[in-house]
Amino acid sequence: MNYIVALILGVFFGFSLNKAGLTKYNKIVNVFRFTDMAVLQFMMTALVVAMSGLYALRGLGLVTFPAPPATYIVGNLVGGLIFGIGMALSGYCPGTCAAGAGEGKLDYIVPGILGFLIGAVIYGLTYQQVFPAISAIANYGNTTIPELWNLNPFLTVLVFGIMSLLLFYMIDRAGWQRKGNL
Amino acid sequence: MKFIMKYLHKEVWSPYVAGILLGLVGIAAVWISNSLLGASGAFENLAGMMGKAVAPKLFDNMYFNFIMPPGITTGVILVLGIFFGGMIGAATSGTLKWGTKDTANSDEQWKLVFGASVWKRWTLAFIGAIILEYAAGIAGGCTSGLAISGGMLLAPAAFLFIAGMFVSGILTAMVIYRNRY
Repeated sequence: MNYIVALILGVFFGFSLNKAGLTKYNKIVNVFRFTDMAVLQFMMTALVVAMSGLYALRGLGLVTFPAPPATYIVGNLVGGLIFGIGMALSGYCPGTCAAGAGEGKLDYIVPGILGFLIGAVIYGLTYQQVFPAISAIANYGNTTIPELWNLNPFLTVLVFGIMSLLLFYMIDRAGWQRKGNL
Repeated sequence: MKFIMKYLHKEVWSPYVAGILLGLVGIAAVWISNSLLGASGAFENLAGMMGKAVAPKLFDNMYFNFIMPPGITTGVILVLGIFFGGMIGAATSGTLKWGTKDTANSDEQWKLVFGASVWKRWTLAFIGAIILEYAAGIAGGCTSGLAISGGMLLAPAAFLFIAGMFVSGILTAMVIYRNRY
């Protein structure tokens, strides 16, 4: 990826985060309270669109995939568990904080960016003690679900799409999104 | 056309419409440059760069030399793009906050539940941000680099991460909101 492509992709990425409302503390924390499911709707829509497009393009021979993020069950899961605590406390994740900082909000610019840099320093300095051990447990490498379980990739995407539509139905029509208590 | 312009100026879109846009960005990243989006890595590159300038001995380790080399990587430029994307998005809806009052504690819900104290907001946000970055390191990426980028390729890692994130996010929200959950 060169600088110009990175900048343009980043602008559209940040723009979508802003328009989805994810640069607001309440949007992030309310998905965990089930009072506003926009984060989940936004994420799942992006996933369905991107995976349909990418697997179709690959089927047509138009793209090759980069190496997917590595699967090491305990590390991915534990990392996610710690990550959720940070999200609920701060109301951002690294991407939405960068976009929120661009909007000019001081509580994104100062504690957010500073916290990420300090977190990165702590991680980098303790990497040797933590990462090799945790990533060695149940490590399947740079794999995908269809590869790992020998499934038809198009069928997997289709099932994922149907499950997402069902989820959207549950959120929008079947009352999974509850009324707030504030 | 008029409808599109009007929608462009709306502050918050349907999450489905915004999600389609993000999905297209994810496709473009792979199609144009055979790479994945990600945000958390950029802070590692930047932290390494600053660390090496201030305390070169301390930062002369395996991680900052080889795993996440310091410097202005494309990842850093991507995050810079995200910054400007947020700015442009807010500008189109007239909600830019630069130079306005009360942006140190910017969220109405936060103020209602936890009060107007800037220190409280900043302390919890700062601790949260440290936790986020550290967790992204362990997991192998954050919401963008792992959940979205990995998920769109159907990497199991992404779904394990998302599951963990929701479980602890819900529990944490329960603890901090107590009877207001």
